[in-house]
Amino acid sequence: MSQGVKKRSFIEDAWFHDFGQGWSLTGGRCPACGRIYFPTKQVCPSCFNAEQEKVPLSRKGKLHTFSRSHMGPAGIRTPFTIGFIDLPEGIKLFSLLTDCDPWDKVLGVGMEMEMVIETIREDEEGNEIVGYKFRPSREASS
Amino acid sequence: MRAVSIAGVGGIRFGKYGDRSLRVLGEEACIKAIRDAGMTPRDIQVAYVGNLAQWEWGQGLLIGHYVLREIGLTKIPITRVENGCATGSNAFHEAWYRVATGACDIALAFGVEQMTVASSEKILSVFTGRQHAERGGDMGNSAPGLFGLLARRHMEEFGTTREQIAMVAVKNRKYGSMNPEAQLTRALTLEEVLKERMICDPLTLPQCCPRGDGAAAVVLVAGKIARKYNSIPISVAASVQVSGTYPDDRSYTFFDTDVRAAEAAYKMAGLGPEDIDLAEVHDCFSVAEIVHYEDLGFCRKGEGGRFIDEGHSGIGGKIPVNTSGGLLSKGHVIGATGISQIIELVRQLRGQAGRRQVEGARVALQHNGGGFIHTDTASCFIHILRN
Repeated sequence: MSQGVKKRSFIEDAWFHDFGQGWSLTGGRCPACGRIYFPTKQVCPSCFNAEQEKVPLSRKGKLHTFSRSHMGPAGIRTPFTIGFIDLPEGIKLFSLLTDCDPWDKVLGVGMEMEMVIETIREDEEGNEIVGYKFRPSREASS
Repeated sequence: MRAVSIAGVGGIRFGKYGDRSLRVLGEEACIKAIRDAGMTPRDIQVAYVGNLAQWEWGQGLLIGHYVLREIGLTKIPITRVENGCATGSNAFHEAWYRVATGACDIALAFGVEQMTVASSEKILSVFTGRQHAERGGDMGNSAPGLFGLLARRHMEEFGTTREQIAMVAVKNRKYGSMNPEAQLTRALTLEEVLKERMICDPLTLPQCCPRGDGAAAVVLVAGKIARKYNSIPISVAASVQVSGTYPDDRSYTFFDTDVRAAEAAYKMAGLGPEDIDLAEVHDCFSVAEIVHYEDLGFCRKGEGGRFIDEGHSGIGGKIPVNTSGGLLSKGHVIGATGISQIIELVRQLRGQAGRRQVEGARVALQHNGGGFIHTDTASCFIHILRN
């Protein structure tokens, strides 16, 4: 049996949208109360309003906390670095962290981070699952 | 609500029982608890069973009915509950509620789980199913990950040290070594804990609870008839259940569920943290216990590291915590964990805890957090017991 062609796909298509400036994470904004959620929801959990408008989430945020994991799901090579990112929209986002070696020297709580689209892991067939990660912001450091 | 007491308790040592069935494990705990209460199964009027999952092949059906049929307990309402890692406490809470409201006088709550029959990969996949919106699981998150993240933020904000966090494992393994029913019975030094294999920074292996197989059962009775069955009935002064709010806008250094459940439990009991003589809290990871000290009001916010450092959570200290050895020594046998915590407290309040006995213990608090979504536990149960 011949090896099939490896595929590359988003972990969730609905999370990503090109609003005109490349891929952004798609938030849902409630026009009634102004709150923004990720992922988008069927109704606003705050005011139960059913109308949601899709908005791009900020690509930048602050590192709330981080850790180095030596265990995890199949398809992600260990060890890897994880964190919570505080986005200006008031969203706390779990994320893999990248471009931050050595992690314990480079990373610090409160530092500016930026989103990149990268391969998260490989599935059982070796297909690449693509999603978001955060890395130390390059603009801030330059 | 009427007064409710615990008349009987019974459990089996958590461990590896792959050669026995889930049903048999449950039976053994129930038989012990019913005997301890001086009853027969026919006295029981309602039963709740906590069982999270049948790990080797997915969800099982009717485990409560299978177990209780074997010991001659039929006809009565029997219900299985699930609430993440607090599944056992949920079974207890439902049984308490039935008696407290006067729906019946005698109720059985038990929890049973058999986790060693499945691989770690299988267990991780059950926990991190794809049905969840955030999909943290297949994005690299895990239970140790969540608590590693919690630890880092706590260290950063409050100056909590790796050593203070690791001391939770030292303390709990010490008490585990004094508890014949613990799964891990070897005490460890601070140096040993720190140099063990890293799981998720700063948490090394002994700072992460093992899994296991086992069961635990409790018989609850209306307070007015408690003395008929047991010479030392232990009363349930508070039984509280809350669910998470999953905040985005607050520092990830506490559990909103813990804080709200503690407030409600103290109010229900008419007591405060200063009245608590000992506690069993959900130490799934070492750092969790430090955060619980703060959330439950045992010390001020940010002072959890110092609380253990100064010996306040050890036997002889202000509020001895996890004298059973905690989940870090007993293992987390999910459906049975919450009830197992209650059993330790009942033994302490009866004065039957042997070498681990907290002298003069009158009031005890049990805390069990269940599941994790985003930044909060999905459920939290607190029970306050007194003799």
